[in-house]
Formats: sequence, C-alpha cells, structure tokens
Amino acid sequence: MHPSLIFDMDLYHPKPEHKELRELVGTLGQDLLEKAARHYDEQENFNEELLRDFGRKYSLFGLTVPLEMGGHGLDATAEVIVHEELSMYDPAFTLSYLAHEVLFVNNLYHSGQDTLRQKYIPPALKGEFLCAMAMSEPQAGTDVLGMKTMAQKRGNLYILNGTKQWITNAECADAFLLYARSGPNRKDISAFVIERRFKGLRIGKKEAKMGMRQSPTCQLILEDCEVPEENLIGRENEALLHMMRNLEIERLALAAMALGIARRSLKEMITYAQQREAFGKKIYEFGQIQHLIAESYARYRASRALVYETALCVNPQERQSLSAAAAKLSATQMAEFVSRSAIQVLGGNGYTRDYPVERLHRDAILLSIGGGTNEAMQKNIMKDLVQLENLDI
Amino acid sequence: MNILVLIKQVPDTEAKIVVSGGKVQEAGIKWIISPYDEIALEEAIRIKEKTGGTVTAISVGDDLVQQSIRTAYAMGADHGIHIKHDQYQMLDAFAIASAIAKAIEGRDFQVVLAGRQGSDSDNGQVPLILGTLKGWGVVSFAKKVEIDSQKATVHVEAEGGEAIYESTLPVIITANAGLNEPRYPSLKGIMASKKKPIEVINFADLGLGTVSRIEILGFEPPPPRPQGRFIDGADPAAKAKELARALREEIKVI
Ligand SMILES: Cc1cc2nc3c(=O)[nH]c(=O)nc-3n(C[C@H](O)[C@H](O)[C@H](O)COP(=O)(O)OP(=O)(O)OC[C@H]3O[C@@H](n4cnc5c(N)ncnc54)[C@H](O)[C@@H]3O)c2cc1C
Repeated sequence: MHPSLIFDMDLYHPKPEHKELRELVGTLGQDLLEKAARHYDEQENFNEELLRDFGRKYSLFGLTVPLEMGGHGLDATAEVIVHEELSMYDPAFTLSYLAHEVLFVNNLYHSGQDTLRQKYIPPALKGEFLCAMAMSEPQAGTDVLGMKTMAQKRGNLYILNGTKQWITNAECADAFLLYARSGPNRKDISAFVIERRFKGLRIGKKEAKMGMRQSPTCQLILEDCEVPEENLIGRENEALLHMMRNLEIERLALAAMALGIARRSLKEMITYAQQREAFGKKIYEFGQIQHLIAESYARYRASRALVYETALCVNPQERQSLSAAAAKLSATQMAEFVSRSAIQVLGGNGYTRDYPVERLHRDAILLSIGGGTNEAMQKNIMKDLVQLENLDI
Repeated sequence: MNILVLIKQVPDTEAKIVVSGGKVQEAGIKWIISPYDEIALEEAIRIKEKTGGTVTAISVGDDLVQQSIRTAYAMGADHGIHIKHDQYQMLDAFAIASAIAKAIEGRDFQVVLAGRQGSDSDNGQVPLILGTLKGWGVVSFAKKVEIDSQKATVHVEAEGGEAIYESTLPVIITANAGLNEPRYPSLKGIMASKKKPIEVINFADLGLGTVSRIEILGFEPPPPRPQGRFIDGADPAAKAKELARALREEIKVI
C-alpha cells in the first residue's frame, strides 16, 4: 500500500491541489511538448507562443504569487511538480519556463515593492510580458559578486553599463530582472526591472549550445542604458538578499527538472530492456543491464525524496541554502548518470535522435552548470556545514 | 442564450475494464467526460463566449460524477446539476432521458448539446429520447453549429457531401468528432471549480418510479480473441498455396 494511504501524508502531493496540478501539467506536457521537442531541439528554435500560452491559456505562471495578485498562492512543491512533469517531455522548454516563472516572477514578487509588482506581475502572469533574469557576466559566473555591470544614479534615472552573459529567454524577453553593482563594496548590488524597449539595451549573440537548444541563451549589452529610478527593486545595495533567496527556489526547480529527465530516461530503458533480445534472451535478464537500471532507479528515488522534502521547507521567509544545494547536487548528478545509463541500455538506438535519451542527456548536463555549478554547490555545502552549531544533520 | 450540456462520465478510453460477478469492477478506473460530450461542452462554451448566456452541465450518476461536473466548471461551464442515483449502471437510456427532462422542467434552455454517443456503451439514445419527451427537434452528428437568437444552423456529414439543417429553438444537437478541439482547462479554472456549488437532485425525488424499460441482467467480458494461425511454407508461392487450400477446405470461404 502506498505510504500516503497509511499516514494520510503524501510527500509528493502535500495538498490536493498538487495532485491536480501534476495531472494538468502532465497532460499538457504529453499533448503539447512531447511531439515537438525533437523538432525544436534540431532547429535550435524556441516555441515562444506556447510559453506565452502557458500564461494566456493555462494560467500556469505565478504559482507562488498570492491570489490577490492573480497568482495561485501555492508553494515550492508546486514549482517542483511543474518542472518535474514538463521535463519528462521537454527540458529545454522547461528551462525557459523556469527563467520566466522562477527567476523573474517569483523573484520580483518577493523582492519588489508594490508599485513594481502592480506594473509587471499581471502582464507577466498573462504571458503578455515574457521575462528573464540577468546575473551572470562574461567574467563573473560562479564568482557572481565579481560582476562589473555598473548602475549610476543620474537625476531620476539609473544609467547602466556592462555586459550580461548566458541570459535565458533574452532573445524574446520583454523585461529583465537585472543585477548590477551600485556601490564601492563587493556586496553593493542592486536589482532593476529593465524593459526591452529601454534606451541603451541591446541583445547580443545567441549561443550555439550542446543541449537545452530550444531555450534561447544570449548576451545582453547595456550602453548608457536608461532605467527610471522607480524600476529599482527594493532599495539600493540590498539585492544580495533577493539573489540568495531566489537561488534556493531556482536550485530546487533545476533539481526537479533533473527528476523529470531521470524518470523519463528510466521509463525508456525499462521498456526497451523488456523488448530487446540478444543471445536469445530479453536484455533485462543480463546482470549488467540490471545493474544500470536498478542503480538508476535507486538513485532516482533517493533524489526524488530529497528534492520533495526540501521543497516542504523552502519559502521566502527562511533560508535553506544547505538543503537546496544538497538537493541540486544530488539530483543533477543522478540525472546525468541515469540519462547516460539509458543511452547505454538502448545501445545504438540510444545514440540516435530517434529516441529521446541522447537529448535528455545533453539537457541534463546543463543542470550541473546553471544556477550554480556542482562545484559551487559543494563549496556552499561545506561553508554551511562548518557553521552548523551542534552538527544536527 | 442558455445552453444545457449532457455529460456522461465514462472510464478513460485507455482504462482496462475488468468484469467479474456480472459487474464492471470500478476500483482503479480513471473516470473522464465521454469524449463526444467533451466536444459538446466545448461547443457550448464557444457559443457562450460569442453570444453571452450560460452553460449548464448535467449528469446522472453516483457521487463520482461530480468530478466530471467540476471538469466542466474548469473548462468554463457556469452551473452544474447532478442527478444522483447510486445504481445508475442499471438505468437505461429512457430512464436517464426522463430524469433529465423532469429535472429541467421550468428552466429556460434554448439549446441542448450532447455527444453523439457515450464512449462506453455507444448507445447514442439519451438526446433522441429527451427530444421526444420534450417535443424538441434533434439534429445528430453535427460538424458545424451556428446559433442566433431565432434558430440553429447545423452542418452534418452526409453521403458524398454535407447536409445543412435549420431548426427553431429549443433544439437538441449531438456533436460529432471534428466539430471542435476541446480546450485544456486552465489552472485557474481548476482551482475555481473546486469552490463552485453543484446542484444535487435525488433521482428518487423526481417521482419517476421504476422508469427503466430495459433490465440489465449482467455484464460479461468479450470472449478472448482466438490465437492467430501462421501459414508455413518454403517460399511465398508455397505459403500462398497452403493459404488457398486452408481457406477452401478448412474454413470453406472460397
Ligand atoms: C544554458 C545556460 C543558461 C543560463 N541561464 C542564465 C540566466 O538566465 N541568467 C543568468 O544570470 N545566468 C545564466 N546562466 C549562467 C550560469 O549560471 C553560469 O554559467 C554558472 O553560474 C557558471 O558560471 P561560468 O559559466 O562563468 O563558469 P565559471 O564560474 O567560470 O566556472 C568554470 C569552472 O570553474 C569552477 N569554479 C569556479 N569557481 C570555483 C571555486 N571557487 N571553487 C571550485 N571550482 C570553481 C566551476 O565549477 C566550473 O567548473 C546560464 C548558463 C547556461 C549554460
């Protein structure tokens, strides 16, 4: 019997809404993403209209935004469910969903003052505004506080100069949540909402990538970019908190994507191993194939439990950097292993684009880099562990 | 324009149906709105979006059918009526149509939409009987529907072409595949659907008595399909020869 029936508690659906959400998103993924995923990967082309429809038609933005602001008043678990389900079918589309929903909408709602929320959240929820977040720079990735983009106050404007790198959705985004240096100290970082139409903003080259090819990644160039002072999010030099807080839910959502990739890879290899024959046997009867599948399954289940357990405690009010980093580190390595194992189980077929596993593997690798590399997660975990008072782990 | 949609809840078309003890075993079945009814519902919502008015979904069954009424809410229906009958599997089309006719007495519907048939029993009778009981016209198998305040124009596939019917209102129209592509509900719609009240009418309170004219004695699964047979032979010519012999001598069809 499923434990949820015994304890009246279901880690994967703490509330009835979570089940309905999973069902809706699963149906949309299967019907709208599955067939086209290969096409968009091969064309390196983004299904922008469908992402806008996620707001316009299916109201799937603003999961963590309260009802009064047009959102759903849900939680980190809801984000995990959506990212997990969509990634079963198309991780690249899901990455673009994440950039809009988690990196912009969730962050602006929880860090912004009411005037900015009123102005940008409703159009973002309806898909009229497609959004992105710009933190990384050509010379500052892991070392994010080494960013060089400068914001200087002039009259009632901020003038921004610098270059942002690896910006998901930049190609078509209508607005950006952008971090810039605003004072002499390393931690003097401020955040702004920058509209595409603002003078001095230019979208640079689009990257040619290994995976996540549907999701457009571009440079952003700011040359005396003019930003009205009311577009400063919160107060000057206080954006480090926004950044750290939002990175937790971002890491959780990326970990959830890893779960979706792993679940799909497992389904593919379990099915294939029961059909394919060699030496007069089904290949799942071979110990080495059992090893690949069983190891994948056990690691998937362990990461899934960790990610959903972490989701229960990630919220804007408290810091959970240790758990979020552990969830991302565990799930992303697991997804690389599981998707790679799926290619192995499928043999030559696994290496072709007729089966989805090679794409899932290429996409999985990004999850170990974006939102903080796995090395950065290891660094953060150690930093948090040495600060624990009584080593209550 | 007030539109009524007849909704039947059926097992998911991919569900594995298990019959034992003369009954369909319902445990573990995923229930959905019958696909043709979903098309009818979509059409009703589109008409409402164009011309205003309301859409009411009505369903006969046990408490489980409230799920389908909620799905109808999530897609855009305004009201839902549940005619409650715990042994609804034993009701025939006449009983169901009579219950609906009775339940909507005194309510103002100009258009009734329904699927051409339920995807489980494929009877396709309820809308026709309802039309007879109410004295309303029925147009079946619609592939295009236009409604104005006076009349309905319904396009129907016909041998080698298309038949176009015009009807006064009220009218009952059954939906064929291809009439439209039903929408997915939105998350907002799903959340709101949970808070909307459903009007419940007890079948027994309708005063119909024992109205079924057909008694269902039991359900039986279809017999398992017999094993296929492979025709052996050294080459295609030999196989063809053996096939012809078997057809002539054993099965005696040629
Ligand atoms: C497809 C894609 C989409 C992205 N989307 C966005 C986006 O929307 N917005 C945004 O702001 N950014 C985005 N990023 C940027 C992403 O967050 C960075 O790539 C990531 O943080 C790593 O930074 P980097 O590429 O500069 O690598 P670097 O920081 O240069 O790291 C290079 C290597 O050195 C290691 N390293 C660095 N510092 C240390 C250390 N202290 N200890 C040990 N090892 C270290 C790293 O782990 C890595 O292995 C995206 C990236 C990609 C590839």
